[in-house]
Amino acid sequence: MEEGNSIIYGLEHQTRALSPQYGESDAIRFLIGTQSLKPNTNQVHVVELEEDTGALHTKVFKHDIGEIWHLRCSPHDAATLITTHNFYDLDTCQCTMGVSIFRLPSIEVIPKDLDDLSAMQNRNAEDMELLKTITPEKPEEEIRCAEWHPTDANRIGIVLDNYVSIRDSSTGEQVASVAPEGRTRLKFTGGKWSPQGHSQFTVLQDTHIKCFDTRTDCSKPAWNIESAHRQLARDIDFNPNRQFHLASAGDDAALNIWDYRHGKEPIFSRTDHSHWVWTVRYNTYHEQLLLTGSSDARALLTAAASICDVDDDGKRLSQVLEDGVLQSYEQHEDSVYCAEWSAAEPWTFASLSYDARLVLSRVPRHFKYKILL
Amino acid sequence: MSESCKDKENPLDIDGSNFNSEMYLECLLKCASLRQVMDKEAEVVTQSQFLQSEMQTLVYENYNKFISATETVRKMRSDFQIMQEEMNKLSENINNITQFSAKISDNLKESGNNVNRLCSTRQLLDKLQFVFLLPTQLNKAIQENRYVDAVHDYTHAQRVLQKYGDQPSFQSIQTECSDIICDLKKTLRERLLTPDTSASELAESVGLLRQLQETDSSLKDIFLKCAENRLEQHLKNLNAIVENVDLLEWVEKCNNTLLADLAIVISCYHDIFQDSDNAYLPEFADKVTTQVFNLFQEVVKKPENIGTEILIRGLDKFFRKLQAMSEIISSDSVFNKAQDVVIQCINHKATMQYQVIQTQFKENLMRVRQSLASKGTEAADLKEILNSLQIHLMQKVQASLLDLIAFLQNKLSFGLKPWCGRAVADACWTVISETLINLSDMVKNMASMQTSNNIPFELLLILAKLCLEIQENGVTTLHSHLLKLLEESAPGLTVKDRDTNTVMVNLSTAAQTALDSEVVFIGQMAAQMLRVSVLARDWLRAPEPRGPRAVCRRVVETLASADTAASQLFPTSIKPSSDSSRRTIWSRAPSSFSPINRIFSERIEVFSPAGADRAALSNGALKVALKALVECVRLRTFSRHGLQQLQVDVHFLQQRLSCMGNDERLLNALLEDALASAQIRCVDPQLMEPSIVDIICERG
Repeated sequence: MEEGNSIIYGLEHQTRALSPQYGESDAIRFLIGTQSLKPNTNQVHVVELEEDTGALHTKVFKHDIGEIWHLRCSPHDAATLITTHNFYDLDTCQCTMGVSIFRLPSIEVIPKDLDDLSAMQNRNAEDMELLKTITPEKPEEEIRCAEWHPTDANRIGIVLDNYVSIRDSSTGEQVASVAPEGRTRLKFTGGKWSPQGHSQFTVLQDTHIKCFDTRTDCSKPAWNIESAHRQLARDIDFNPNRQFHLASAGDDAALNIWDYRHGKEPIFSRTDHSHWVWTVRYNTYHEQLLLTGSSDARALLTAAASICDVDDDGKRLSQVLEDGVLQSYEQHEDSVYCAEWSAAEPWTFASLSYDARLVLSRVPRHFKYKILL
Repeated sequence: MSESCKDKENPLDIDGSNFNSEMYLECLLKCASLRQVMDKEAEVVTQSQFLQSEMQTLVYENYNKFISATETVRKMRSDFQIMQEEMNKLSENINNITQFSAKISDNLKESGNNVNRLCSTRQLLDKLQFVFLLPTQLNKAIQENRYVDAVHDYTHAQRVLQKYGDQPSFQSIQTECSDIICDLKKTLRERLLTPDTSASELAESVGLLRQLQETDSSLKDIFLKCAENRLEQHLKNLNAIVENVDLLEWVEKCNNTLLADLAIVISCYHDIFQDSDNAYLPEFADKVTTQVFNLFQEVVKKPENIGTEILIRGLDKFFRKLQAMSEIISSDSVFNKAQDVVIQCINHKATMQYQVIQTQFKENLMRVRQSLASKGTEAADLKEILNSLQIHLMQKVQASLLDLIAFLQNKLSFGLKPWCGRAVADACWTVISETLINLSDMVKNMASMQTSNNIPFELLLILAKLCLEIQENGVTTLHSHLLKLLEESAPGLTVKDRDTNTVMVNLSTAAQTALDSEVVFIGQMAAQMLRVSVLARDWLRAPEPRGPRAVCRRVVETLASADTAASQLFPTSIKPSSDSSRRTIWSRAPSSFSPINRIFSERIEVFSPAGADRAALSNGALKVALKALVECVRLRTFSRHGLQQLQVDVHFLQQRLSCMGNDERLLNALLEDALASAQIRCVDPQLMEPSIVDIICERG
């Protein structure tokens, strides 16, 4: 993967789910879930980029319990993943959503010998071990996503239409729920665990961002950002280094960064996309790099250096990068719903568009040197 | 005959000097008949006789006169002899008189000398008496406050005293006198220091002291200090009345009290310390005038002094006085400060003007907003609103320019000065540019306040058009209007190449912001309807389609109303707008959802700058609305009927929206994308026959 060249990997079905393998620290590996309403066609693809050669290796697993809307690898175990899926039952003419935890038989993707290679070339889908399936109380309830607890391997948070259910991953029992009082009509669009406190869950509700402490009765948010976006808020990501900073993206095509202690005005805001922004991610190692994906069929690499280079007194330490778009990645031809940094390598990221195209790209070398040197 | 009479030099004229008898005769003989000649002869004879007798009488008369003259001469000769004798007697007598008079004057000479000596002695004695009486005189004069007399006397006597001061009798007098004078000085100084002495008294005192040979510098100090005290008193009074009186009254008061006194002080100073250098005075004058100017500024800034007329008159009076003052002081700094005051007044006025314009414009906008809001669905005449706003704004600006030009009237003391002209020109331009920049800022602000969607989109359209109109015509109109006004009132004065570009750029960006915001507003409104309707519906259990859903009609209505509003203000240009903003979505040949086709079609940018053109505006709103439809469809799962319902909806939208905008390919691409996405998300993807869709659409 030379400078400016991206590697493209195509799948057969529409895709909306992408996750880096959080538990893996050596190999650049991403997992993709497909979205197809045809029975028994959905798959989980594991894609590994061989850093030295730039070669791409893949392994395919069957996912026969429905189309995948959301996929997250466990941060505690590289082989474990959780999918949010939807299944259409021909007999009842009804869709049922659920959350399932799987374990991969092996995390190795690169073939070790010729047998492996031939198996790989046949692309025969292998089976995964299904550990647990959790279904909502009411079958017609829609599930937005399921998120691993950052430290507690037995805990997952499931975001539904209008509440969040905290479950034990081994038993599937609900241990807590987040349901704001008043039963507002405004539905949740997504959510995430807050990295601080280990018990706070942040949800996106219409244009607002709200954080609830799961130890309380969750009637009142611990903090919130009202009207974070002019239209629907689509995604958030927490700054891995600064505990009060978070980035949000929404239907107003904006990327906003907030200090949630002062949630009136964003401390950084850019509108570089020309349609809804569906995803935003902080680079795990370099907080000034942000990755966004939008339905304008672009992934943008944006620098927010001005708010990251400041010390506690608000003084600039250095000016390495100019704020703004560093690079626009235009290899996609349909809406980009997912974009993720690699968990193992700080400069590589993947973006996934609806037309089933995965693009693996790198931060341009001169920016990399600017940050490092 | 008659002919010969005409010419005076005619030789035929018998009475003329050039008379030629022969010619006459000849002529007569030639011209007349015998009878006439005979008559002529008789006439000539009688005339000759008459002349003869007359000549004889004259001779007789002259003869008689000659005889009487000879007799007179003879008589005179005998009289002269008697006169000679008388004259001789007279000269003798005169000689006697001269001798007597010489004798008398010899006798009187001695006594005259004596009298002279006595007189001079008497004068000396008088002087001595004056000197001896001096102390008492002085005391008396001082008691009666006739300080001038006292000092006058003393200076007279001083020379004598100095001359004879070593003699004991004078010494005592001198000491006494100097004591008294010392006292006098003291009292004079005291008088100087008391605050209630008038400026003229002050000058008098100082003059006296100076005659009494006080040193100049200390005197100057005292003089100025006293003057300052007094002026401070005036300042205090003036300060106190700032709140109560109007500008004219204040200036009047200031001129009459403070500045008048200052003038007296200064002229006295000049009189008294004529030759000394001017070190103290300018500084002093500066100090006082600065304070006065500050007060003046305060007065000017009072709200009731806003009227141009009153301001100009007050300023004129004030400036006249100051100009006079600065001539007295002969210091540039006072004059410069006076200029500054005028310039500041002009600038202050300009600031007031554009602030007023802005608030009035805001009020107008409020009114427009209310009227737009109250009209409801009924279509308002946007063009009329635009015109009234624009005309009102332009008129206000022009009126305020006129107001400012009033500072250049000939009759004003500062009216014709070049610096004043420059200041006015600058101020005028400031009014124009500030007004327009304020306008653009306001429009930008209103356009970016999207969260509170209170601003009707019509208003955004109006504001955008207003900005564009002013950018295209208004700026140059105002600029040339200003030049004309300046040319009229102060020929030769021009506004130096002003930065009209910045103003225009500001206006056009404001217009762009407003247009973008309008497009997004309309688009989002439609998008929101589509989003809610798609997300809320259970597409899996949808019944067989019977017609397009109601939301589609509402979307069409929304877009159509915006299109109509836009058409009022932004007529469609003839050439199709070059929509450079096609990206993101892929327009492609009908009914083909394959990635290959996407490569060969152009992208469509959804949130992109909108053109100032009806079609471009509608295109923009369409893009926003329909792209939202595509994205929402992808989040749902459809049954066969659900898909068919969407097919009907899409067909309906295609029919109704194709008249809007000018880019049918764009519209089709987006709608096909929506349908294709629904097909992918359908569990049983079977589309209806197009003919049936047509029928259903028409039936609905």
